[in-house]
Amino acid sequence: MPVRPGALRLEAVHKRYGRAPEVLAGVDLAVAPREIVVVAGPNGSGKSTLLRIAAGSSRPTSGRVRGRAPVVGYLPDRFPAQLRMPAAVYLRHLAALHRENAAAATESAGELLEALGFVGSTRTPMSGLSKGNAQKIGLAQALCCSAGLLVLDEPWSGLDAPAAQVLLGRVAAAAQDGASVLVTDHTGTAAALPRARHLRLQGGELRPSPPQPNGPAPLVVVELWCPLDPAEAAAALAPFVRAAPAGDRLVLHVPVGRSDALLRAALDLGCSILSVTPAARDAPR
Amino acid sequence: MRALAVARFLAADAIRSRRVLIPVFLYAAVLAVLFGGDPGPPPAPWAASALALYPIAAWLALTVANTEDPVQRTVTVAASGGHLPVAAGTLLVALAGDVVLSLLSVVWPVVATGYPHPPGLLMEGFLGHLACASTGTAVGLLCARPVIGRIGWSLMVAVFVVVVTGVQPWLPPVGTSVAALEAGAGTSPVAFGALLGLVLAGAAAGVSAAVARRL
Repeated sequence: MPVRPGALRLEAVHKRYGRAPEVLAGVDLAVAPREIVVVAGPNGSGKSTLLRIAAGSSRPTSGRVRGRAPVVGYLPDRFPAQLRMPAAVYLRHLAALHRENAAAATESAGELLEALGFVGSTRTPMSGLSKGNAQKIGLAQALCCSAGLLVLDEPWSGLDAPAAQVLLGRVAAAAQDGASVLVTDHTGTAAALPRARHLRLQGGELRPSPPQPNGPAPLVVVELWCPLDPAEAAAALAPFVRAAPAGDRLVLHVPVGRSDALLRAALDLGCSILSVTPAARDAPR
Repeated sequence: MRALAVARFLAADAIRSRRVLIPVFLYAAVLAVLFGGDPGPPPAPWAASALALYPIAAWLALTVANTEDPVQRTVTVAASGGHLPVAAGTLLVALAGDVVLSLLSVVWPVVATGYPHPPGLLMEGFLGHLACASTGTAVGLLCARPVIGRIGWSLMVAVFVVVVTGVQPWLPPVGTSVAALEAGAGTSPVAFGALLGLVLAGAAAGVSAAVARRL
């Protein structure tokens, strides 16, 4: 089924629960078709509330939401695994709610689950699934319905690295197919999304923000030859993230910011620098 | 027709949860006792079963409305395009249960007792039960999430409302329908009761959707 897009606009959205202070204090946000908006913010800053309102499962206390696409794919933070129905049955029902062809949705969900490394059976009750596998079912129901608006609340939490990569590709592909995409992310994975707009929610207001770096600073691999025992040299050159003695050479992983100081110390010790290379992004730490 | 899709989903979930089976089995037991010996000629014995169906239907609607996990509900609402289809789907499941239980109540004595049951009488019995069941559905929906969030309060309020409203013979639709069945007053009063009950149930679903929107 083709994606029927919508130009989502939140206008002066306020949200208050009971008498507590406002969670959202006048949020204006537009997400155009093919656009990806990533919202960051500290815990309890109202990101989930904002996403629930965008997805249409909650209403603002005041303000308006316009232009929501007719089909919304929504993944809540912590997708629950309490249903007694099997995942396959759940996905069929959700496809019907999304007005998506059941056979097409089942096929694309099966393919996505396989790509995400879903372990377990889609024919046994969902309540038996692990947290990560339940999350993958949640992703499948949101991503396999040709949604014009995709609202994903912390979709990368609980996913292992290969699944996180697959999800990056699927989110980018959904945007390319015409969907408006709104995601929150505290893992830093969303920084790798192409052409995403990054916003930060703080004090109930949205502000532009640079993308969150992908975890700690990237590493540099320094290869040394030292005139003394590698273990002794390593002790003298601490701190570093990881040391791997390789024969008579010493291979050290250090954060980018510390590499110059380490090289200076190595030269002072009388070591020779054999190579300095950036570490692979997914190198174990 | 998303309400139908929601209804199918909620029904599948409710049946798997087994919790909806408790009121159904309990009601079957009530029917077995009522029509076990010689209950007398219809429609008078139906007054008792219709009155018993009132709290049973409230219990059933409350269970159907409360089965889904609240976070799961946010997904269902987003997927079905709002709270109205979800409330309507819940109503449809509860009313389907009402119809099934009303039919069961009418058919049971036909099979279990030797009295003649002409079609007009069957219709009177069915509508009388439907009047009580749909009103019970209205009570159940108003006592369930999201109107009343805590199950303890839900039960207390539901029991209170059912007991107070169920025993007033002048009070439509339950009191008047039960009284009409007892007196054998014909189809009109129970038809009116059934219509009023369905309107009440629909209104309760509307209230439920309106409250859910404000959360």
